[in-house]
Amino acid sequence: MSEMALPTTDKRTKLRIANREFRQELGMLMPALVLLAIFLVVPFLLSFWFSLTNERLVPRPVPASFIGLQNFQRVLSDPSFWNSLWNVIRFTLMVLPIQCGFALLTAVLINQKLPFRNLFRSLLFLPAISSMVIVCVIWSTLYQFPTGPLNSLLQGLTFGLAGPVDWLGDSAWSMPALVLLSAWQAYGFQMIVYLAGLQNISPELYDAAKIDGANAWQRFWHITMPGLKQTHVFVILITTIQAFKLFTQVNILTQGGPDGRTDTVVHYMIHSGFVEQKVGYASAVSIILFVIVLAVSLVQRRLMRDAS
Amino acid sequence: MSASTLLQKFGWRRLSRLEIVQLVSLTIIAIVVVSPLIILVVASLKPDRFAILADMGSMRAFWVDDPTLNNYREILSFDGALPFGRYLVNSVFILLTTVTGGLLINSMAAFVLAWGQMRGRAVILSVLIALYIIPQESIVMPLLVLVNKLGMSDGFSAQILPWMASPIYIFLFYQFFKQVPKDIVEAARMDGASLFRIYWSIFVPLSLPVMATVTILLGIDMWNQYLWPMLVTQSDYARPISVAIAGFFGQDTVFWNTAMAASVLMMVPVLVFYLFFQKWFMNSFAGAVKG
Repeated sequence: MSEMALPTTDKRTKLRIANREFRQELGMLMPALVLLAIFLVVPFLLSFWFSLTNERLVPRPVPASFIGLQNFQRVLSDPSFWNSLWNVIRFTLMVLPIQCGFALLTAVLINQKLPFRNLFRSLLFLPAISSMVIVCVIWSTLYQFPTGPLNSLLQGLTFGLAGPVDWLGDSAWSMPALVLLSAWQAYGFQMIVYLAGLQNISPELYDAAKIDGANAWQRFWHITMPGLKQTHVFVILITTIQAFKLFTQVNILTQGGPDGRTDTVVHYMIHSGFVEQKVGYASAVSIILFVIVLAVSLVQRRLMRDAS
Repeated sequence: MSASTLLQKFGWRRLSRLEIVQLVSLTIIAIVVVSPLIILVVASLKPDRFAILADMGSMRAFWVDDPTLNNYREILSFDGALPFGRYLVNSVFILLTTVTGGLLINSMAAFVLAWGQMRGRAVILSVLIALYIIPQESIVMPLLVLVNKLGMSDGFSAQILPWMASPIYIFLFYQFFKQVPKDIVEAARMDGASLFRIYWSIFVPLSLPVMATVTILLGIDMWNQYLWPMLVTQSDYARPISVAIAGFFGQDTVFWNTAMAASVLMMVPVLVFYLFFQKWFMNSFAGAVKG
C-alpha cells in the first residue's frame, strides 16, 4: 500500500495541498466578504458612531465631537419626526388593503384556466417592472389639476358635481394619491407571490367542495383563504417594510408637502442628512428606522411560525 | 360551422357563466392597469407639452394624429442640455458591471461556503443571513460620508462597488449549490481538480437558472435605483437615467414631452428583456420569496 512508503513526504504534500486549497478558498471568498465589510458592515457600524456625534456631511475645520444621546433626544422631541412616522403608518394602513387586495384578486383570476391567461399575467406584471421614476412621470400627468384624466373621470362619473381635485397639492388627497400610484406600481410582485401560494393548494380540495355543492364564493372563503395563511403573513410583511421605506415618490412628486402631510421617515432622514448636512442627526433617524424594520420582521417571523 | 365550434377548434372550450364573468373582469382590469403605460408611449409621440396636457383629459390621451420622434431627437444626445444618450449609456454600464461582478463574486463565495473545507463557514453564513436584514435606506448616510472620504463620489465606482456583493444573492447561490449531490464534488476532488476548477467547470454551468434569477433581480434593482445615485452624483458624468428623469420635476415648467420620451427610453430595454424572458422574470420574483 502506498501509505507505507515515505510517510513524511506524503504528509508534507498533503499539507501543501491543504495549504493551497485554503488559499484558493480564501481567494474565492474574499472579494464578496471584503466588499460587504467595506460597504455594508462599516457603514452600519458608522451609523451607530455618527449618531452619537455631531458629524457633518462636508467636514468643518473643527472635527466632529461626541455628544452622547443628544441626537436621539432631538429626533424624538421633534414634532416633524413624529409627523413623518405617523404619515408612514397612515400610508401603510391605506396601501396594505388596496395593494394586497388587488394582488389577491388578480392572482385568483389568472390562476383560473381561462383563455389568454398568460397574456393577462404578462400585462398585469408590467407595472412591477416599471421604475418608480417613470411611474411618477406618468401619474403626475394623470393627476394634473384641473384637466387631468382622473379629474375628467371624476367629473364625468359625478356629472360635474365633484372635483376637480388637486390630487397631489391638496393636503387631504396627497397621501391617498401617493397610495394609489404606489399600489399600481408594486402590486405585481404580491400578485406573483399569491399566485405561487395558490398553486400550492391542492386542486382535489376544490373538486371535493364542488361535489359537495359549494359555490365559488364558499370555495374562496373556506379553501383559498385558509390555504393562503402563510402567504398572507409574508405579503403583509414585505408590503409593510416597503411602505416604511417610502421615499422616491415623495421626493419627486410632493417633497413631503403640502404642509408636511406626505413627509416620510426616509424623506425626513435624507432631508436632515443630505440637505441640512447633519449626518449625525440623520444617523440617529436611520437607527430608529432600522429598529422599526427589525421589529416588524421579528413579529412576522413569529407569525409565520404560528401559521405553519 | 357555428362560431362556438370554430372557437373550440382553436382550443376554446365552452365557458361557464362564472368563467365569462371572470374573463370580462380580467379584461377590464388589464385595460385599466395597462392604460397609464399606453398614455405614456402615446404622449411621447406628441409634438409638444401643450398638446400632451390638452389631450390628457379626454380619450385623445390614447391617440396621436401625426406622431413625431422630435421629442426623442431632442434628448438623444451625449452633450447639451438633455444628454439622455449619455445617461442611458451610464445606466447600462453601471448595470452590466454590477451584474457581471455580482454573479462572479457572489457565486464564488457561495460555493466556498457550500463545498469548501475551511473552518468557520457556518459562522460566516449565519452572519451573512443576519446582515440581510439591514435595509439600504438605513446605511446610505454613513455610506455617503465613507464614499466621499474614499474619493469615490460623483463617479461610477461609488454606484457599482457597494451593490455587487449581497447576502441575499450569496444565499440564493448557496441554497442551489447545496443541492448538488456530494458524489459529484468528491469524484472531481479524487480526480485532482482544484476547488476553483470544480466551481468553474461543474457548478457554473449547472447554476444557469440561479444566474438568470440573480441577473434579473439585481438588474432590475440596479436599473431602478434612485435614492443612492441621487445622493452620489453631482454632475452628468456618471448620472444614471433614473436620476436624470427625476430632474424634470422641481422646475418651473415641466417639459412633459421630453420627460415622456425619456421615460419610454428608460422603459424600452427592460421591456425587451421582459418580452424574451417573461417566464424567468416571474420565476425569479416568486423564487426570491422562497429564499
